[in-house]
Amino acid sequence: MKVILEFAQSVHASELSFKADHVVEDGGRYFVLGKQLLPLVQKGFFYAGTYLGKAKDGKFFPSFNLLALLAESGGRSVVLNRKAAWLFICGRDILFAGIAALRGSAKKGDNVLVLNEFGDCLGFGRAVEDLQSKAEAKEIAVKNVSDIGDFLRRER
Amino acid sequence: MSGKAFFENRYAKLGWVFEDVRPRQAIRINRTRIANCDLVERLAIAGVTTEKIPFLEYGYWVESSKVSVGATAEYLLGLYSIQDAAAQIPATLFTDLKKKLVWDTCAAPGGKTVQLSDLMENSGPIFATDVSKRRLFALSNHLERCHVSNVAVFVHDATKPLCPKLTFDRILLDVPCSGNFASDKSWFSRRTEKDVRRNAELQRALLAKSVGYLAEGGEIVYSTCSLEPEEDELNMDWAVRHLNLEIQEIDCKGEPGVSNVFGQRLDTSIENSRRIWPAETQGFFVCKLGRRRDGS
Repeated sequence: MKVILEFAQSVHASELSFKADHVVEDGGRYFVLGKQLLPLVQKGFFYAGTYLGKAKDGKFFPSFNLLALLAESGGRSVVLNRKAAWLFICGRDILFAGIAALRGSAKKGDNVLVLNEFGDCLGFGRAVEDLQSKAEAKEIAVKNVSDIGDFLRRER
Repeated sequence: MSGKAFFENRYAKLGWVFEDVRPRQAIRINRTRIANCDLVERLAIAGVTTEKIPFLEYGYWVESSKVSVGATAEYLLGLYSIQDAAAQIPATLFTDLKKKLVWDTCAAPGGKTVQLSDLMENSGPIFATDVSKRRLFALSNHLERCHVSNVAVFVHDATKPLCPKLTFDRILLDVPCSGNFASDKSWFSRRTEKDVRRNAELQRALLAKSVGYLAEGGEIVYSTCSLEPEEDELNMDWAVRHLNLEIQEIDCKGEPGVSNVFGQRLDTSIENSRRIWPAETQGFFVCKLGRRRDGS
């Protein structure tokens, strides 16, 4: 649970919408179980409830479900224009020109959730510069760390 | 026995004249994620035009698309799933799914599992099992993509005892089957009557085992994408005669199940099942079962 809290703090998410005692860990993978699953499932499962992410070699890899929950909790985020949103899910980094709005503040090196114009969370990245700065439009603002195009890449 | 002529002749005896078909691509909107009209609008912006499928509440035909419908942002966000229109029918046949305990016995790759969860609005637990661990990776990706939260997935052979011993209000038996030519162009050259009979035996084993886990008043929906009566009507007739089950009426697309198969008269309740010959959809068979109420 510690790794999840640390990641949530890294994007300034104010609170988590699930209880810590509903989180189960299985081989480094974390799931949160709803009250309907909790009494039935504790171990031996392949997947259960909402997948939150996995910890491996001291690093935490958040799931897209967790990222969406953190975005709903008001985590630090950039809202992209349509073209930048498409490029982001194709694995590309985000240019300053592609950012339509910034929610919260982000300094160089901060984790940032990435949203499209509808408010859907597309993944997350890491600020390359202070996002409040007046940088050149064609400069990279956010390095892509993880995007939902991964669902396609996994199946290859 | 095998070959196109052999199977075509069988279909003719069941009342259908063979025609080569190309099923239309269909999607199913995940209603807990987005309203129908909102998704249709977003897809139109992305260059995908759709048409409502008249016999499905959340199903749409893909009329034209400038992009792959399996690679749009909306797809990757789990706002819809790509699912043959006929395959969208079984999950909708259960009554009152909310907060029920559901077992999806042969769940991978998970299209119907996600649909069940969507119909349940993520309420009530679903146990999703499959014998193939490899196929469960696809199921897990599907669950994560569609933000499903009420499913527990286990590697399990549904012909074997389930532990812990639970009883389920709803059981989906979307069983492994021989498939059909509409979704596999090499089907006629690959399939034999022997394959069909082997699959039918496995399906009976799945039926027999799952009945033991059906709660009082529970429902089983049995479905295949096979057109072969051994896997469809003949198995349902066997279930009625040997498993103390009765076939319940359903209201969905399709023709009544065939109650006279190659001269063999079956229980007349078989006509309550539905057989969908390939056309806009792939071939399909669906039947709803419950414990016999008259105690006979």
